Amino acid sequence: MITDARVPAIQVDNLTVSYGPRPALLDVSVAIEAGTLVGVIGPNGSGKSTLIKAILGFVKRDFGTVKIFGEPVEEARGRLAYVPQRGAVDWDYPVTVEEVAMMGRYGRIPWWSSPSAEDRRIVGESLDIVRMGDFRKRQIGQLSGGQQQRVFMARALAQGADILLLDEPFAGVDAATERALLEVLRQARSAGRTLVVVHHDLATAAETFDRLILLKQRMYGYGPPEAVMHEDLLTAVYEGRLRIFGKLAQPEAKR
Amino acid sequence: MIATIFSPLSETFIQKALLGGSLVAIVCGVVGCLVVVRRMAFLGDALSHAMIAGVGAGYLFMKLVFGKEAHAPAMLLGSLIAAGITVGMIAFVSRVSRLKEDTVIGIMYCGVFAAGVVLVSVFRDHIHIDIVHFIMGDVLGVTDTDLWVAGIVGAAVLTVLTLFFRAFQFSSFDPVAARAAGIPVALVDITLTLCVSLVVVSAVSMVGVILVVGLLITPAATAYLLCDRLDRMMGLAALFGVTSVAGGLALAMALDSAGGGAIMCFCTAQFLAVLALAPRYGLLAGWRRRRNMIPQQLFEDILGSVLRGKPPVAAAVVASHVHLHRGRLARAIATMKSDGLLLESQEGLSLTDEGLLHARRLQRAHRLWETYLARVGVPEKELHEKAHVLEHVHEEEAVDYIDDLLGHPERDPHGADIPEDFVHVEGGAPVPASFLREGRRATVVSAPAATGLAVGQRIAMAPRRNEGRTWVAKREDGSEALLDHAAADAVMVQPDSESGLRPAVRPAK
Ligand SMILES: Nc1ncnc2c1ncn2[C@@H]1O[C@H](COP(=O)(O)OP(=O)(O)O)[C@@H](O)[C@H]1O
Ligand SMILES: [Mg+2]
Repeated sequence: MITDARVPAIQVDNLTVSYGPRPALLDVSVAIEAGTLVGVIGPNGSGKSTLIKAILGFVKRDFGTVKIFGEPVEEARGRLAYVPQRGAVDWDYPVTVEEVAMMGRYGRIPWWSSPSAEDRRIVGESLDIVRMGDFRKRQIGQLSGGQQQRVFMARALAQGADILLLDEPFAGVDAATERALLEVLRQARSAGRTLVVVHHDLATAAETFDRLILLKQRMYGYGPPEAVMHEDLLTAVYEGRLRIFGKLAQPEAKR
Repeated sequence: MIATIFSPLSETFIQKALLGGSLVAIVCGVVGCLVVVRRMAFLGDALSHAMIAGVGAGYLFMKLVFGKEAHAPAMLLGSLIAAGITVGMIAFVSRVSRLKEDTVIGIMYCGVFAAGVVLVSVFRDHIHIDIVHFIMGDVLGVTDTDLWVAGIVGAAVLTVLTLFFRAFQFSSFDPVAARAAGIPVALVDITLTLCVSLVVVSAVSMVGVILVVGLLITPAATAYLLCDRLDRMMGLAALFGVTSVAGGLALAMALDSAGGGAIMCFCTAQFLAVLALAPRYGLLAGWRRRRNMIPQQLFEDILGSVLRGKPPVAAAVVASHVHLHRGRLARAIATMKSDGLLLESQEGLSLTDEGLLHARRLQRAHRLWETYLARVGVPEKELHEKAHVLEHVHEEEAVDYIDDLLGHPERDPHGADIPEDFVHVEGGAPVPASFLREGRRATVVSAPAATGLAVGQRIAMAPRRNEGRTWVAKREDGSEALLDHAAADAVMVQPDSESGLRPAVRPAK
């Protein structure tokens, strides 16, 4: 597929999504260039997960369009990979690390055949990249929080998608794993992939991402961190919870 | 002798019961696995209860319109339609009312079932359906038609599930990602519902409305306790289904009871036995794990006393540190030996590399806690005792937090070395320069310009200055970069690995 460098990887126009009378997203527009690492920040319930699912075409849009490399999202099957929020996964599901990673390949394996040697090689490589090669046969509930996130990361890598959407991949993960995962994300970006990452930690957002989306039902800002991590904007979005980023005034961001 | 035991097997009705029951049980078991992992057991219930209305309506329609008696395809179609309506009503009512779904399910399937009973009894002159048969099933009265229906439904459903196994697995596990990967999740869901409907409909004539849900989910749940993979779970569930039918029929013969009831009794007993005995997820295994578990605290105290006593340490010395009944101590030491933490020789106990790692982590936690306690003003003579309790709080994240809060101290209040953060420093990933101790070498991975360090530069850590508050990184040309805590945190470095762990330099006073 030809991808014109000027066509945004993800283009969202005037998107409104609701689960009832109150919209979860209201007139959200954003164009994300290919090859960027984008963070989505905003308080709980601000619609971050909903935005991700709308980009995936998984929630019904009340209005608006989502285009993936210029095509309607419905036609972009397989070009998007998704790493779910921890709480959305059934950790008792009888499935092993290796099988979860292999799921990334399922969209490409024809229904009449089984995974090829090539598929298995890619899965092996992806598991090695996230350093989970030693846990292939483990059931996913028997891993630590950080290891679980790495398995889903491996699945997204194995899929070989151009666009990766990750919902709070750093939640419940220790600092060392967070750094390792971040390294993997950066490598994926260097390889030309586009990454959209829901992130809960304001203190590290600026140093982690190329671009930030500040969201609370509406789009409060999209751009380089220094433009978005603007005191007025953050005050508007986080209201009384200013303490959290009081520290940000000084540039001695932790960690 | 053997002939008398197996003689019932020569009876045709038993052979048919066994064959038909096994067919149904295999398909129920396999489909049931998806029902269990998807948590949609209610669907089986709704379907089976809707069936009588569907069968009645199908029968009546064919009889009144075409004058045909007991037209099987029409009854099957009728059941599927009735099931569809029930499921649709459940979804609709729970969306538009404030009632929760479980209540709505109860209302709907009882209502549809009752409507079916009324329909069949009002038109009893036209419809010859035995309601008791419906409720209880009649596995011992399996007809050839039943066998054909079970066989065809089973083959069709198993073929679909096998061919599209990956799609069913992915969409039930993570529908959002499955859709993103290009799997038509909605279609897969509809197919699954259809498969469940077919299976339930074909099973009702054998075991009855009440028991069909059991046949659908009990063997699957039994297998769930034993398996970590969906494909194996399906195989095992099919097997448990067949053993239930065989065991249940034997029970029915022996007690001269109803076949369907005996099958489900056997199936449930089988589940309870597995629940009790399953090697990993069973009750007995859980209980034994808890009983054999040496309290974490004790095990850590033993590691600590071996580390402090300059190994090898005689077991008697350990016993004098750890106040414990001899037998329990011996058992604890035996467990730790088999876990690869301790070595025992004639001279006494020593630590394996793994044991040393654990012991050093504990020592680090203990000394950091002591430093913390001193910092918050706990009197010196209480330090050790309080830290001894707190050292068992050694979750990596918590210890890192304390370490950072204290400015990565190098010595505890007694002047003893606090072990370096080797978990991270030897972890292979870049770490902040503040983690590095004197003598460590590393390569700068990223650094703010103000620190005077450049990416790719090699550094060696010199002794800290200013009471440990200033880090000194020596470049290869001998020049020094001075970093305060914030700057040392901001510089990320890739440390050179030093094989193994560094021994304690200075013991506590
Ligand atoms: N399935 C759902 N049904 C009803 N409301 C929902 C659903 N999912 C999310 N919401 C609501 O939509 C809003 C945005 O949710 P979400 O996108 O999950 O926020 P975030 O991920 O930023 O925490 C919240 O008010 C939430 O309560
Ligand atoms: Mg969310």
